[in-house]
Amino acid sequence: MPYYVIAVAGIATIGIYTILYRENPVFRFFEHVYVGVGAGYGFYFIITNVIVPDWGKPLFIQGRWYWIFALLIGGMYYLIYSRRLAWMARMVMLSTMGLLAGLAFKQFITVYVPQIVASFKPVVSNKAPYLHFSNLLVFVTLVTVMSYFFFSFEHRHPVVRGSARVGRWMLMVAFGAIFGSTVMGRMSLFIDRAAFLLFDFLRLPPR
Amino acid sequence: MTGERAGAERTRHIIFAALWVLILATLIWPVPTRMKPSPAVRSLHNTIETLPRNKLVILSVSWDVGTRGENGPQTSALINHLFKGGHRFAIFGWVFQPGPMLAEQIADSLAPRYGKHYGTDWVNWGFKAGGSPMLQALAKDIPGVIVEDLNHTSITRIPAMAGVKDWHDIGMVIDITGTSSLDSWVAFWQGVYGVPLGYACTGVMGPESFPYLDAGQIKGVVNGLVGSAEYEVLVGVSGQGQQRMTSQSAAHVLIIVLIIAGNLLMLRDRKRRAKAGG
Repeated sequence: MPYYVIAVAGIATIGIYTILYRENPVFRFFEHVYVGVGAGYGFYFIITNVIVPDWGKPLFIQGRWYWIFALLIGGMYYLIYSRRLAWMARMVMLSTMGLLAGLAFKQFITVYVPQIVASFKPVVSNKAPYLHFSNLLVFVTLVTVMSYFFFSFEHRHPVVRGSARVGRWMLMVAFGAIFGSTVMGRMSLFIDRAAFLLFDFLRLPPR
Repeated sequence: MTGERAGAERTRHIIFAALWVLILATLIWPVPTRMKPSPAVRSLHNTIETLPRNKLVILSVSWDVGTRGENGPQTSALINHLFKGGHRFAIFGWVFQPGPMLAEQIADSLAPRYGKHYGTDWVNWGFKAGGSPMLQALAKDIPGVIVEDLNHTSITRIPAMAGVKDWHDIGMVIDITGTSSLDSWVAFWQGVYGVPLGYACTGVMGPESFPYLDAGQIKGVVNGLVGSAEYEVLVGVSGQGQQRMTSQSAAHVLIIVLIIAGNLLMLRDRKRRAKAGG
Protein backbone atom coordinates (compact mmCIF):
# COMPACT_ATOMS: atom_id res chain seq x y z
CA MET A 1 0.00 0.00 0.00
CA PRO A 2 1.47 3.41 -0.93
CA TYR A 3 2.52 5.53 2.06
CA TYR A 4 0.28 8.48 1.18
CA VAL A 5 -2.78 6.22 1.73
CA ILE A 6 -1.40 5.18 5.13
CA ALA A 7 -0.63 8.85 5.92
CA VAL A 8 -4.22 9.89 5.14
CA ALA A 9 -5.51 7.03 7.33
CA GLY A 10 -3.13 8.02 10.14
CA ILE A 11 -4.16 11.70 10.04
CA ALA A 12 -7.85 10.68 9.95
CA THR A 13 -7.34 8.37 12.95
CA ILE A 14 -5.70 11.16 14.97
CA GLY A 15 -8.41 13.58 13.84
CA ILE A 16 -11.15 11.25 15.08
CA TYR A 17 -9.37 10.69 18.41
CA THR A 18 -9.26 14.46 19.10
CA ILE A 19 -12.81 13.98 20.45
CA LEU A 20 -11.16 12.53 23.55
CA TYR A 21 -10.06 16.06 24.44
CA ARG A 22 -13.29 17.84 23.54
CA GLU A 23 -15.77 18.40 20.71
CA ASN A 24 -13.92 20.28 17.95
CA PRO A 25 -14.05 21.14 14.21
CA VAL A 26 -11.25 18.69 13.29
CA PHE A 27 -13.23 15.77 14.71
CA ARG A 28 -16.40 17.01 13.00
CA PHE A 29 -14.61 17.24 9.66
CA PHE A 30 -13.24 13.68 9.79
CA GLU A 31 -16.54 12.35 11.12
CA HIS A 32 -18.39 13.77 8.10
CA VAL A 33 -15.71 12.52 5.73
CA TYR A 34 -16.09 9.03 7.26
CA VAL A 35 -19.87 9.01 6.88
CA GLY A 36 -19.62 10.28 3.29
CA VAL A 37 -16.93 7.80 2.28
CA GLY A 38 -18.84 4.93 3.90
CA ALA A 39 -22.08 5.78 2.11
CA GLY A 40 -20.35 6.36 -1.23
CA TYR A 41 -18.35 3.16 -0.99
CA GLY A 42 -21.49 1.14 -0.11
CA PHE A 43 -23.37 2.54 -3.11
CA TYR A 44 -20.47 1.89 -5.50
CA PHE A 45 -19.96 -1.62 -4.14
CA ILE A 46 -23.61 -2.63 -4.48
CA ILE A 47 -23.69 -1.41 -8.10
CA THR A 48 -20.41 -3.05 -9.18
CA ASN A 49 -20.46 -6.22 -7.08
CA VAL A 50 -24.14 -7.09 -6.72
CA ILE A 51 -26.43 -5.41 -9.26
CA VAL A 52 -24.15 -5.66 -12.32
CA PRO A 53 -22.77 -9.23 -11.86
CA ASP A 54 -25.77 -10.84 -10.14
CA TRP A 55 -28.57 -9.19 -12.09
CA GLY A 56 -27.30 -7.17 -15.07
CA LYS A 57 -25.00 -9.86 -16.47
CA PRO A 58 -27.52 -12.74 -16.44
CA LEU A 59 -30.24 -10.51 -17.91
CA PHE A 60 -28.40 -8.52 -20.57
CA ILE A 61 -25.36 -10.66 -21.43
CA GLN A 62 -26.45 -14.24 -20.79
CA GLY A 63 -29.98 -13.58 -22.08
CA ARG A 64 -31.81 -14.96 -19.04
CA TRP A 65 -34.92 -12.85 -19.67
CA TYR A 66 -36.72 -14.05 -16.54
CA TRP A 67 -34.39 -11.92 -14.37
CA ILE A 68 -36.56 -8.96 -15.44
CA PHE A 69 -39.05 -10.18 -12.83
CA ALA A 70 -36.55 -9.25 -10.10
CA LEU A 71 -36.82 -5.62 -11.23
CA LEU A 72 -40.59 -5.77 -11.57
CA ILE A 73 -41.16 -7.39 -8.19
CA GLY A 74 -38.56 -5.17 -6.49
CA GLY A 75 -40.11 -2.11 -8.15
CA MET A 76 -43.51 -3.02 -6.68
CA TYR A 77 -42.17 -1.96 -3.26
CA TYR A 78 -42.16 1.65 -4.44
CA LEU A 79 -45.85 1.56 -5.31
CA ILE A 80 -46.48 2.17 -1.61
CA TYR A 81 -46.32 5.87 -2.53
CA SER A 82 -49.36 5.53 -4.84
CA ARG A 83 -52.71 5.40 -3.08
CA ARG A 84 -54.32 3.54 -6.02
CA LEU A 85 -51.59 0.90 -6.48
CA ALA A 86 -50.40 0.47 -2.88
CA TRP A 87 -52.07 -2.97 -2.76
CA MET A 88 -49.34 -4.24 -5.10
CA ALA A 89 -46.63 -3.10 -2.65
CA ARG A 90 -48.51 -4.85 0.16
CA MET A 91 -48.48 -8.11 -1.85
CA VAL A 92 -44.69 -8.06 -2.08
CA MET A 93 -44.34 -7.12 1.57
CA LEU A 94 -46.64 -9.93 2.64
CA SER A 95 -44.65 -12.42 0.56
CA THR A 96 -41.44 -11.18 2.18
CA MET A 97 -42.97 -11.44 5.64
CA GLY A 98 -44.14 -14.98 4.91
CA LEU A 99 -40.67 -15.93 3.68
CA LEU A 100 -38.98 -14.43 6.75
CA ALA A 101 -41.51 -16.04 9.12
CA GLY A 102 -40.81 -19.42 7.53
CA LEU A 103 -37.06 -18.90 7.83
CA ALA A 104 -37.41 -17.79 11.47
CA PHE A 105 -39.46 -20.88 12.29
CA LYS A 106 -36.85 -23.13 10.72
CA GLN A 107 -34.12 -21.21 12.51
CA PHE A 108 -35.86 -21.68 15.85
CA ILE A 109 -36.13 -25.43 15.35
CA THR A 110 -32.54 -25.96 14.23
CA VAL A 111 -30.81 -23.40 16.46
CA TYR A 112 -32.68 -23.34 19.78
CA VAL A 113 -34.23 -26.81 20.16
CA PRO A 114 -30.78 -28.52 20.35
CA GLN A 115 -29.71 -25.90 22.93
CA ILE A 116 -32.80 -26.55 25.06
CA VAL A 117 -32.14 -30.30 24.83
CA ALA A 118 -28.47 -29.75 25.79
CA SER A 119 -29.50 -27.80 28.89
CA PHE A 120 -30.96 -30.99 30.44
CA LYS A 121 -27.84 -32.31 32.11
CA PRO A 122 -27.51 -35.19 34.55
CA VAL A 123 -26.76 -34.00 38.08
CA VAL A 124 -25.96 -37.55 39.23
CA SER A 125 -23.65 -39.83 37.25
CA ASN A 126 -20.33 -41.67 37.55
CA LYS A 127 -18.38 -38.81 35.98
CA ALA A 128 -15.84 -36.51 37.69
CA PRO A 129 -17.23 -34.49 40.66
CA TYR A 130 -16.45 -31.11 39.04
CA LEU A 131 -18.76 -32.07 36.15
CA HIS A 132 -21.55 -32.72 38.66
CA PHE A 133 -20.98 -29.28 40.15
CA SER A 134 -20.97 -27.72 36.68
CA ASN A 135 -24.21 -29.50 35.72
CA LEU A 136 -25.81 -28.55 39.03
CA LEU A 137 -24.86 -24.92 38.45
CA VAL A 138 -26.45 -25.02 34.98
CA PHE A 139 -29.59 -26.57 36.49
CA VAL A 140 -29.87 -24.02 39.32
CA THR A 141 -29.22 -21.10 36.94
CA LEU A 142 -31.78 -22.36 34.42
CA VAL A 143 -34.53 -22.84 37.01
CA THR A 144 -33.90 -19.63 38.98
CA VAL A 145 -33.58 -17.40 35.91
CA MET A 146 -36.76 -18.92 34.43
CA SER A 147 -38.59 -18.27 37.71
CA TYR A 148 -37.39 -14.63 37.59
CA PHE A 149 -39.04 -14.26 34.17
CA PHE A 150 -42.30 -15.90 35.27
CA PHE A 151 -44.77 -13.03 35.29
CA SER A 152 -48.11 -14.88 35.21
CA PHE A 153 -48.59 -14.44 38.97
CA GLU A 154 -47.07 -12.31 41.69
CA HIS A 155 -43.93 -13.68 43.36
CA ARG A 156 -45.50 -13.97 46.84
CA HIS A 157 -44.47 -17.46 47.90
CA PRO A 158 -41.06 -17.36 49.67
CA VAL A 159 -39.70 -20.20 47.48
CA VAL A 160 -40.61 -18.39 44.25
CA ARG A 161 -39.42 -15.05 45.63
CA GLY A 162 -36.09 -16.54 46.74
CA SER A 163 -35.63 -18.38 43.48
CA ALA A 164 -36.35 -15.21 41.46
CA ARG A 165 -33.84 -13.29 43.59
CA VAL A 166 -31.14 -15.92 42.95
CA GLY A 167 -32.10 -15.75 39.25
CA ARG A 168 -31.56 -12.00 39.27
CA TRP A 169 -28.09 -12.49 40.76
CA MET A 170 -27.29 -15.08 38.10
CA LEU A 171 -28.37 -12.61 35.42
CA MET A 172 -26.12 -9.97 36.98
CA VAL A 173 -23.18 -12.37 36.82
CA ALA A 174 -23.95 -13.06 33.13
CA PHE A 175 -24.23 -9.34 32.36
CA GLY A 176 -20.94 -8.78 34.17
CA ALA A 177 -19.26 -11.43 32.02
CA ILE A 178 -20.68 -9.87 28.86
CA PHE A 179 -19.67 -6.36 29.94
CA GLY A 180 -16.16 -7.56 30.83
CA SER A 181 -15.86 -9.13 27.39
CA THR A 182 -17.12 -5.91 25.83
CA VAL A 183 -14.38 -3.92 27.56
CA MET A 184 -11.85 -6.50 26.35
CA GLY A 185 -13.19 -6.16 22.79
CA ARG A 186 -13.14 -2.37 22.79
CA MET A 187 -9.57 -2.39 24.10
CA SER A 188 -8.54 -4.75 21.28
CA LEU A 189 -9.97 -2.32 18.72
CA PHE A 190 -8.11 0.58 20.31
CA ILE A 191 -4.87 -1.43 20.43
CA ASP A 192 -5.27 -2.15 16.70
CA ARG A 193 -5.52 1.58 15.93
CA ALA A 194 -2.62 2.42 18.24
CA ALA A 195 -0.50 -0.31 16.57
CA PHE A 196 -1.42 1.12 13.16
CA LEU A 197 -0.30 4.60 14.25
CA LEU A 198 3.00 3.31 15.64
CA PHE A 199 4.09 0.70 13.12
CA ASP A 200 2.40 1.80 9.86
CA PHE A 201 1.94 5.56 10.18
CA LEU A 202 5.08 6.41 12.17
CA ARG A 203 6.94 3.37 10.76
CA LEU A 204 8.48 2.27 14.04
CA PRO A 205 10.05 -1.18 13.72
CA PRO A 206 7.89 -3.78 15.53
CA ARG A 207 9.69 -5.73 18.28
CA MET B 1 -17.69 25.60 33.62
CA THR B 2 -18.34 24.80 37.25
CA GLY B 3 -15.50 23.56 39.47
CA GLU B 4 -17.04 20.09 39.80
CA ARG B 5 -17.51 19.74 36.04
CA ALA B 6 -13.99 20.96 35.33
CA GLY B 7 -12.71 18.37 37.82
CA ALA B 8 -14.66 15.59 36.08
CA GLU B 9 -13.32 16.75 32.70
CA ARG B 10 -9.76 16.74 34.05
CA THR B 11 -10.19 13.23 35.49
CA ARG B 12 -11.51 12.04 32.12
CA HIS B 13 -8.47 13.50 30.35
CA ILE B 14 -6.09 11.89 32.86
CA ILE B 15 -7.73 8.46 32.31
CA PHE B 16 -7.54 8.76 28.51
CA ALA B 17 -3.93 9.97 28.67
CA ALA B 18 -2.94 7.10 31.00
CA LEU B 19 -4.57 4.59 28.65
CA TRP B 20 -2.82 6.04 25.60
CA VAL B 21 0.59 6.07 27.28
CA LEU B 22 0.14 2.54 28.62
CA ILE B 23 -1.01 1.07 25.29
CA LEU B 24 1.68 2.82 23.23
CA ALA B 25 4.44 1.88 25.71
CA THR B 26 3.42 -1.79 25.85
CA LEU B 27 3.18 -1.97 22.06
CA ILE B 28 6.70 -0.58 21.72
CA TRP B 29 8.12 -2.64 24.60
CA PRO B 30 6.01 -5.80 24.86
CA VAL B 31 6.68 -8.35 27.58
CA PRO B 32 6.46 -12.00 26.42
CA THR B 33 3.30 -13.55 27.86
CA ARG B 34 2.65 -17.26 28.37
CA MET B 35 -0.67 -18.22 26.84
CA LYS B 36 -2.51 -21.38 27.83
CA PRO B 37 -5.06 -22.31 25.15
CA SER B 38 -8.58 -22.76 26.50
CA PRO B 39 -10.54 -25.99 25.76
CA ALA B 40 -12.84 -24.11 23.32
CA VAL B 41 -9.86 -22.90 21.24
CA ARG B 42 -8.12 -26.27 21.45
CA SER B 43 -11.29 -28.00 20.25
CA LEU B 44 -11.47 -25.88 17.09
CA HIS B 45 -7.78 -26.46 16.42
CA ASN B 46 -8.17 -30.23 16.84
CA THR B 47 -11.19 -30.30 14.51
CA ILE B 48 -9.21 -28.60 11.74
CA GLU B 49 -6.31 -31.00 12.34
CA THR B 50 -8.57 -33.98 11.63
CA LEU B 51 -10.28 -32.55 8.52
CA PRO B 52 -9.92 -34.54 5.29
CA ARG B 53 -7.54 -32.82 2.83
CA ASN B 54 -9.80 -33.39 -0.18
CA LYS B 55 -12.54 -31.15 1.16
CA LEU B 56 -12.79 -27.37 0.98
CA VAL B 57 -12.99 -25.21 4.12
CA ILE B 58 -15.21 -22.11 3.96
CA LEU B 59 -13.92 -19.05 5.84
CA SER B 60 -17.01 -16.92 6.29
CA VAL B 61 -15.59 -13.45 6.91
CA SER B 62 -18.57 -11.57 8.35
CA TRP B 63 -16.52 -8.60 9.54
CA ASP B 64 -15.22 -5.28 8.30
CA VAL B 65 -12.86 -2.53 9.46
CA GLY B 66 -14.96 -1.82 12.57
CA THR B 67 -13.91 -5.11 14.22
CA ARG B 68 -10.59 -5.61 12.43
CA GLY B 69 -8.70 -5.34 15.72
CA GLU B 70 -10.23 -8.63 16.87
CA ASN B 71 -11.35 -10.46 13.73
CA GLY B 72 -8.18 -9.62 11.79
CA PRO B 73 -5.77 -11.54 14.07
CA GLN B 74 -8.30 -14.41 14.27
CA THR B 75 -8.46 -14.64 10.47
CA SER B 76 -4.68 -14.52 10.32
CA ALA B 77 -4.27 -17.33 12.90
CA LEU B 78 -6.82 -19.55 11.13
CA ILE B 79 -5.34 -18.96 7.66
CA ASN B 80 -1.90 -19.78 9.10
CA HIS B 81 -3.31 -23.09 10.32
CA LEU B 82 -5.05 -23.90 7.02
CA PHE B 83 -1.90 -23.11 5.02
CA LYS B 84 0.25 -25.13 7.41
CA GLY B 85 -2.13 -28.10 7.31
CA GLY B 86 -2.41 -28.02 3.52
CA HIS B 87 -6.17 -27.40 3.49
CA ARG B 88 -7.82 -25.69 0.51
CA PHE B 89 -10.11 -22.90 1.60
CA ALA B 90 -12.55 -20.34 0.25
CA ILE B 91 -12.84 -16.81 1.63
CA PHE B 92 -16.47 -15.80 1.53
CA GLY B 93 -18.44 -12.74 2.67
CA TRP B 94 -22.19 -12.35 2.86
CA VAL B 95 -22.78 -9.81 5.65
CA PHE B 96 -20.24 -7.00 5.19
CA GLN B 97 -18.93 -6.12 1.73
CA PRO B 98 -15.27 -5.33 2.63
CA GLY B 99 -14.75 -8.61 4.54
CA PRO B 100 -13.45 -10.74 1.63
CA MET B 101 -11.03 -8.00 0.54
CA LEU B 102 -9.62 -7.58 4.06
CA ALA B 103 -9.22 -11.35 4.44
CA GLU B 104 -7.58 -11.53 1.00
CA GLN B 105 -4.91 -9.03 2.15
CA ILE B 106 -4.16 -11.34 5.09
CA ALA B 107 -4.01 -14.48 2.91
CA ASP B 108 -1.80 -12.69 0.35
CA SER B 109 0.64 -11.60 3.05
CA LEU B 110 0.89 -15.10 4.59
CA ALA B 111 0.98 -17.18 1.38
CA PRO B 112 4.70 -16.68 0.50
CA ARG B 113 5.73 -18.05 3.93
CA TYR B 114 4.10 -21.40 3.06
CA GLY B 115 4.67 -21.31 -0.71
CA LYS B 116 0.93 -21.14 -1.41
CA HIS B 117 -0.73 -19.63 -4.46
CA TYR B 118 -4.08 -18.08 -5.14
CA GLY B 119 -6.30 -20.29 -7.23
CA THR B 120 -4.68 -23.59 -6.32
CA ASP B 121 -4.51 -23.33 -2.52
CA TRP B 122 -7.28 -20.87 -1.82
CA VAL B 123 -10.02 -19.01 -3.62
CA ASN B 124 -11.91 -15.84 -2.80
CA TRP B 125 -15.63 -16.02 -3.51
CA GLY B 126 -16.06 -12.33 -2.71
CA PHE B 127 -19.27 -10.90 -1.33
CA LYS B 128 -22.67 -12.40 -2.14
CA ALA B 129 -25.94 -10.66 -1.37
CA GLY B 130 -29.07 -12.56 -0.38
CA GLY B 131 -28.61 -13.43 3.29
CA SER B 132 -30.07 -16.66 4.65
CA PRO B 133 -31.95 -17.73 1.46
CA MET B 134 -28.64 -17.42 -0.41
CA LEU B 135 -26.93 -19.67 2.18
CA GLN B 136 -29.66 -22.27 1.68
CA ALA B 137 -29.14 -22.19 -2.08
CA LEU B 138 -25.35 -22.29 -1.61
CA ALA B 139 -25.57 -25.62 0.23
CA LYS B 140 -27.19 -27.25 -2.80
CA ASP B 141 -25.32 -25.58 -5.67
CA ILE B 142 -22.03 -23.82 -4.88
CA PRO B 143 -20.88 -22.99 -8.47
CA GLY B 144 -24.41 -21.87 -9.34
CA VAL B 145 -24.52 -19.35 -6.49
CA ILE B 146 -20.92 -18.14 -6.46
CA VAL B 147 -20.44 -18.02 -10.29
CA GLU B 148 -17.31 -15.79 -10.16
CA ASP B 149 -14.47 -15.15 -7.74
CA LEU B 150 -13.36 -11.75 -6.42
CA ASN B 151 -11.41 -11.08 -9.64
CA HIS B 152 -14.43 -11.98 -11.83
CA THR B 153 -12.88 -15.28 -12.96
CA SER B 154 -15.40 -18.05 -13.55
CA ILE B 155 -15.42 -20.29 -10.49
CA THR B 156 -15.35 -23.43 -12.66
CA ARG B 157 -11.91 -22.41 -14.04
CA ILE B 158 -10.26 -22.16 -10.61
CA PRO B 159 -8.25 -25.31 -9.62
CA ALA B 160 -9.04 -24.92 -5.89
CA MET B 161 -12.71 -25.40 -6.77
CA ALA B 162 -12.17 -28.71 -8.57
CA GLY B 163 -14.84 -31.17 -7.52
CA VAL B 164 -16.66 -28.69 -5.30
CA LYS B 165 -20.36 -28.89 -6.09
CA ASP B 166 -22.39 -28.73 -2.89
CA TRP B 167 -22.23 -29.13 0.91
CA HIS B 168 -20.91 -32.72 0.55
CA ASP B 169 -17.59 -31.25 -0.65
CA ILE B 170 -17.20 -28.87 2.30
CA GLY B 171 -15.11 -30.10 5.23
CA MET B 172 -15.97 -27.28 7.57
CA VAL B 173 -17.35 -23.74 7.76
CA ILE B 174 -15.56 -21.26 10.05
CA ASP B 175 -17.56 -18.15 10.78
CA ILE B 176 -15.27 -15.24 11.69
CA THR B 177 -17.66 -12.57 12.71
CA GLY B 178 -18.48 -9.33 14.44
CA THR B 179 -22.21 -9.82 14.05
CA SER B 180 -24.93 -12.44 14.61
CA SER B 181 -24.23 -14.46 11.46
CA LEU B 182 -23.72 -17.75 13.28
CA ASP B 183 -27.46 -18.49 13.61
CA SER B 184 -27.84 -18.64 9.83
CA TRP B 185 -24.97 -21.11 9.43
CA VAL B 186 -26.36 -23.25 12.24
CA ALA B 187 -29.92 -23.08 10.89
CA PHE B 188 -29.19 -23.78 7.23
CA TRP B 189 -25.92 -25.74 7.17
CA GLN B 190 -25.01 -27.39 10.46
CA GLY B 191 -28.58 -28.07 11.61
CA VAL B 192 -29.70 -29.43 8.25
CA TYR B 193 -26.64 -31.13 6.73
CA GLY B 194 -24.41 -31.59 9.77
CA VAL B 195 -21.50 -29.65 8.26
CA PRO B 196 -19.02 -28.94 11.12
CA LEU B 197 -18.94 -25.30 12.20
CA GLY B 198 -16.14 -23.30 13.79
CA TYR B 199 -16.63 -19.89 15.36
CA ALA B 200 -14.35 -16.88 15.83
CA CYS B 201 -16.15 -13.92 17.33
CA THR B 202 -15.52 -10.56 18.96
CA GLY B 203 -15.09 -10.45 22.73
CA VAL B 204 -18.56 -9.03 23.33
CA MET B 205 -20.13 -12.06 21.64
CA GLY B 206 -17.97 -14.66 23.37
CA PRO B 207 -20.12 -15.45 26.44
CA GLU B 208 -23.20 -15.98 24.24
CA SER B 209 -21.42 -18.56 22.09
CA PHE B 210 -21.15 -21.17 24.84
CA PRO B 211 -24.71 -22.58 24.52
CA TYR B 212 -23.83 -23.39 20.89
CA LEU B 213 -20.64 -25.10 21.98
CA ASP B 214 -22.44 -26.99 24.72
CA ALA B 215 -25.09 -28.22 22.28
CA GLY B 216 -22.40 -29.41 19.84
CA GLN B 217 -23.53 -26.96 17.16
CA ILE B 218 -20.05 -25.48 16.92
CA LYS B 219 -16.78 -27.34 17.30
CA GLY B 220 -14.86 -24.58 19.04
CA VAL B 221 -14.63 -20.86 19.73
CA VAL B 222 -11.87 -18.33 19.20
CA ASN B 223 -13.02 -15.47 21.41
CA GLY B 224 -11.60 -12.00 20.74
CA LEU B 225 -7.93 -11.08 20.62
CA VAL B 226 -7.05 -13.40 23.49
CA GLY B 227 -8.56 -16.30 21.49
CA SER B 228 -6.36 -15.54 18.50
CA ALA B 229 -3.29 -15.38 20.77
CA GLU B 230 -4.18 -18.84 22.13
CA TYR B 231 -4.75 -20.16 18.61
CA GLU B 232 -1.36 -18.81 17.51
CA VAL B 233 0.26 -20.81 20.32
CA LEU B 234 -1.39 -24.01 19.05
CA VAL B 235 -0.41 -23.34 15.43
CA GLY B 236 3.12 -22.37 16.49
CA VAL B 237 3.23 -18.92 14.92
CA SER B 238 3.82 -15.50 16.44
CA GLY B 239 1.15 -13.13 15.22
CA GLN B 240 -0.70 -10.00 16.22
CA GLY B 241 -2.66 -11.87 18.88
CA GLN B 242 0.39 -12.68 20.98
CA GLN B 243 2.18 -9.43 20.14
CA ARG B 244 -0.72 -7.40 21.54
CA MET B 245 -1.37 -9.42 24.68
CA THR B 246 0.89 -7.22 26.83
CA SER B 247 -1.14 -4.14 25.86
CA GLN B 248 -4.41 -5.98 26.40
CA SER B 249 -3.39 -7.21 29.86
CA ALA B 250 -1.97 -3.82 30.88
CA ALA B 251 -5.19 -2.07 29.82
CA HIS B 252 -7.24 -4.56 31.86
CA VAL B 253 -5.08 -3.99 34.94
CA LEU B 254 -5.48 -0.22 34.55
CA ILE B 255 -9.27 -0.52 34.25
CA ILE B 256 -9.48 -2.76 37.32
CA VAL B 257 -7.36 -0.27 39.30
CA LEU B 258 -9.57 2.60 38.11
CA ILE B 259 -12.75 0.74 39.09
CA ILE B 260 -11.35 0.07 42.59
CA ALA B 261 -10.11 3.67 42.93
CA GLY B 262 -13.45 5.05 41.71
CA ASN B 263 -15.35 2.97 44.26
CA LEU B 264 -13.02 3.99 47.10
CA LEU B 265 -13.44 7.66 46.19
CA MET B 266 -17.21 7.22 46.04
CA LEU B 267 -17.23 5.61 49.50
CA ARG B 268 -15.08 8.45 50.87
CA ASP B 269 -17.46 11.07 49.42
CA ARG B 270 -20.46 9.23 50.82
CA LYS B 271 -18.88 9.15 54.27
CA ARG B 272 -18.03 12.87 54.07
CA ARG B 273 -21.59 13.74 53.03
CA ALA B 274 -23.02 11.59 55.83
CA LYS B 275 -20.75 13.38 58.30
CA ALA B 276 -21.68 16.82 56.96
CA GLY B 277 -25.39 15.87 57.04
CA GLY B 278 -25.19 14.44 60.55
